[in-house]
Amino acid sequence: MNKTATLRQILVVTDGCSNVGISPVAAAALAREQNITVNVIGVIDRDEMSEQGEREIREMAKAGGGLSDIVYPAQLSQTVQMLTRKAMTRTIQHVVHQELKEILGDSSVVDLPPEKRVQVAGMVDELGERSHLDVVMLIDTSSSMKSKLKAVQQAIHDFSISLRSRSGTSRMAVCSFPGKQKHLDVRIPWTEQVDKALQLGSNLTMSGVTPTGPAIVEAITLFEHVELPAHLADHYRSPVQRNQDDEGLLQDHVF
Amino acid sequence: MSSNRLPLPVPVTFSGKWNQKQYTILKELGSGANGTVYFAVCNGRKVAVKIGTDPFDLLMEANMLKSVQAHRQERIGPELIDVDDLMYAGRSYSYYAMEYVKGERLDEYVERVGADWIPVLMVQVLNRLAVLHRQGWVFGDVKPDNILVWNKQVHLIDFGGVSQIGRAVRQFTEDYDRASWQAGDRRAERSYDLFAVAVMMICLFLGRQDWDRIRCQVRHLPTLCDIIRDNKGLSLYSEPIIKALYGKYVTAEEMKRELLETLRSRVQATPARKDGGTLDFWIGSLFVASLLLLASSLYYLWM
Ligand SMILES: Nc1ncnc2c1ncn2[C@@H]1O[C@H](COP(=O)(O)OP(=O)(O)OP(=O)(O)O)[C@@H](O)[C@H]1O
Repeated sequence: MNKTATLRQILVVTDGCSNVGISPVAAAALAREQNITVNVIGVIDRDEMSEQGEREIREMAKAGGGLSDIVYPAQLSQTVQMLTRKAMTRTIQHVVHQELKEILGDSSVVDLPPEKRVQVAGMVDELGERSHLDVVMLIDTSSSMKSKLKAVQQAIHDFSISLRSRSGTSRMAVCSFPGKQKHLDVRIPWTEQVDKALQLGSNLTMSGVTPTGPAIVEAITLFEHVELPAHLADHYRSPVQRNQDDEGLLQDHVF
Repeated sequence: MSSNRLPLPVPVTFSGKWNQKQYTILKELGSGANGTVYFAVCNGRKVAVKIGTDPFDLLMEANMLKSVQAHRQERIGPELIDVDDLMYAGRSYSYYAMEYVKGERLDEYVERVGADWIPVLMVQVLNRLAVLHRQGWVFGDVKPDNILVWNKQVHLIDFGGVSQIGRAVRQFTEDYDRASWQAGDRRAERSYDLFAVAVMMICLFLGRQDWDRIRCQVRHLPTLCDIIRDNKGLSLYSEPIIKALYGKYVTAEEMKRELLETLRSRVQATPARKDGGTLDFWIGSLFVASLLLLASSLYYLWM
């Protein structure tokens, strides 16, 4: 298997519930439809996150085919890199499992003896390391996030180091929401290296509005070659939560 | 993701779905990112069984353990004994069994026997790493928690961080990670492990409490250099430690050699009779160091 995959991810960093526009869960499902995985990290201070916020974070990641976690600011850097890595291997695992299913027929990888599965794991890891990775970090900068922005900045810088250390090529972009005019502002356009001088705290629109859903939809357009097909564009306009179908979304990964 | 614990207590005895090996679990040893490790008995042999919450990561770890064991003459790490599935509560969990490594955690050991042992133990760690590096791997997650000492010998455990040289480091701990200290990236290079060894040395010399205090300071190299300068034990070894922090060593052997040289010159610099017994101690520990080196070479020769 001497192929490389292109993996796309949106990583949402937030501390609470969205309160305007399309449901973030629906937006995440929409991203997944475009082969973009959505990972979500909830950051909490001393105070616990509301049950509703926690649920939203979990459901967003589920609909977006990704992973979620809720952590303290100090754990953010490590969580960002772990979640990204896990989500990557998960995506590739799905694809590899699909391919193996075609070879193996009815039986799935789980039915393989463990030694064989160990080999499959090695192959998945190899593909993951060499794949091309595009990540948009979507940072909630609503007022309650203010105290956590330093940790977020640190995590962004740290993440860029991790990306640079991979064998495959990687790009990242950083956006904050809410934006000045639109739902999101692009703070760092696509780049392979992030300057640590980035000041997230400067130039922010401080408001109580948290348009997580609309921001995800706008972030989707940052990925090249992505045009919303008519039925999905409609979908975006009508913020109805759809039942996402689980299968078949990963088929078109470019291997 | 939030919960890495297994949902139910594991059955006390179980047999693998594929290989039918039977295990009796005696106690839990601890749980990490990818699963929980239990002390168990299998066919009368003491083993450590790691049962995974995420089958992929667990199998990946087993794969690493298997890969580093390809070289039979120079085996690093516990022997991989079995990889299988366990059925319970209607679900299937993957697990692997490895040789049970007896011992005390490196930091606890040092606390008990004293800081004088640190350089000797580090030389051993560097020897183990050198073997791993020669085979094309970087350990990645070098930290006291992943090193056990038994019979005055160090043993590496937890191979979840082992990465092929040139790749990205698979798993790391921020305290010992050179990128977190703004001293480089996370590419799996030999110098990545050597940096972690240097930080680990600092941490061991300071002891838990003082180290915890440092953790809140700015993470960059000057912080570490200040600590080295201000600590009596550390300042003696400042040269090799600082060189490792700045990535000046290409191989573990080089660092080991210079660490040994420092140890030797320290022994020679100690006045023959000041507060009686010091020299004896140093000659003693140098002797032990050479014996250990000899022992460990023999160990790898005969494994
Ligand atoms: N082969 C072994 N023999 C004896 N004890 C072991 C062995 N492997 C692991 N342990 C013990 O089991 C505990 C858990 O180990 P494990 O490697 O899962 O996690 P960890 O190192 O705590 O975490 P992480 O995987 O997140 O780094 C540790 O305390 C370790 O000392």
